[in-house]
Amino acid sequence: MPAEARMPECNPFVEVATALFLEDLATKVGVQGLNNYLVSLAKNLGNTMPKEEYASWPEFLGALVSGQSILATFEDVQPVTEHAMTTPRSPFDRGWREYAKRVGSFAPVHKQVADYFNERVRPTAVTSFHIVLHTFRETAAARIKVGGKGVRYETIATAWVDGTVMMPPEDRLDPLLARAGISRTKLGMLLRNHADVWILELA
Amino acid sequence: MLDVALASLIEDMIEKAGADGVVEFWQRVGDALASRMGKEAYLGWTSFNVAVREGRTAFSIEGDVTPLTDMAITDVDGDVVGYLYAMKQCCYVPTIFRTRYAVGRMSPGDAVVMEEYNANVHNIAVCNFCVFHERFREEIAKNVTVSGNPLVSYLLATRGWSGETKISSKNVAMVNINEEHVRALLRNYECVYALVMRGARLKGGR
Repeated sequence: MPAEARMPECNPFVEVATALFLEDLATKVGVQGLNNYLVSLAKNLGNTMPKEEYASWPEFLGALVSGQSILATFEDVQPVTEHAMTTPRSPFDRGWREYAKRVGSFAPVHKQVADYFNERVRPTAVTSFHIVLHTFRETAAARIKVGGKGVRYETIATAWVDGTVMMPPEDRLDPLLARAGISRTKLGMLLRNHADVWILELA
Repeated sequence: MLDVALASLIEDMIEKAGADGVVEFWQRVGDALASRMGKEAYLGWTSFNVAVREGRTAFSIEGDVTPLTDMAITDVDGDVVGYLYAMKQCCYVPTIFRTRYAVGRMSPGDAVVMEEYNANVHNIAVCNFCVFHERFREEIAKNVTVSGNPLVSYLLATRGWSGETKISSKNVAMVNINEEHVRALLRNYECVYALVMRGARLKGGR
């Protein structure tokens, strides 16, 4: 696909402003309220996107790789097996770098809300942004049909820009890796230079 | 993707807080960001303009800013007390196109917030983000000194993604720049503002 046909990149200033917006919101509604807001933000975004249908799994994988699927709107998706997907660079990478460069350390509330999300929903968020990303993927996947069947999303691991890695506890990790078709060693290899490892499968 | 998510939620925000509430919210975020940026001091306009060109000032967080050093602002004594600055691309234009390509269309709430701001605060906005960054610039200008004088920011002109333009007659008169000169700048820039020493006795000052 020609570069100009890809999604244009945002001005990171807008992402910095959005991060400040979320911090302001947290002072009013607390960590739980911010979590709820981020989940609803992501669900709303996913649900405003058009539904998709594909005849076969290879056709769907092709749409992911070429950036045509709604799941590839904000990130480059690289399948490593039929069901294990990777994202080389986090879509929040530039915004976070700009924040760190111009504003300073990331406000603690972004980590606090991620901890809240990890305890109650999915255990792989490093910052508030991952709540949006993981919830969006789940909502968007539910809008896709492959061969007439729904698609299900699950996260395996997240590696943040600063090297922090979040993954489920051991007892939950092994079944996920089996579904993805990758080993622990392979996961470690992927996390060295990828932002996310996740699963897409038929529901 | 946060930018697109937020753009898609403007209508919901308007429903909960009203368009005036969203304007207040954006302005408060502008204040909050400016307060986190820290203070800066420059020996004179030359060093400040070099810093702007090299992206070292707080103003540079918005993107590439061009100091228009051929367009100085003078006070009643003819001394240079400021310059015009311009951005080739509005910070929000990429988000508008990203929203268009991600969701299918920009939220109509964007125009509602913009119109609220234009009607009740300053008739200069071409999108909802103008609300945030006009306030942001005004606040960071207070924390930047040139030759020991803090600055004041005047937003002069904007051009939106679909070509519509806005010129602030009151601010253009304040800095005593010909409106036609500002209009000509909009052929090449999407956002034009003036930075002036606070307290300077401007020819157009009230």
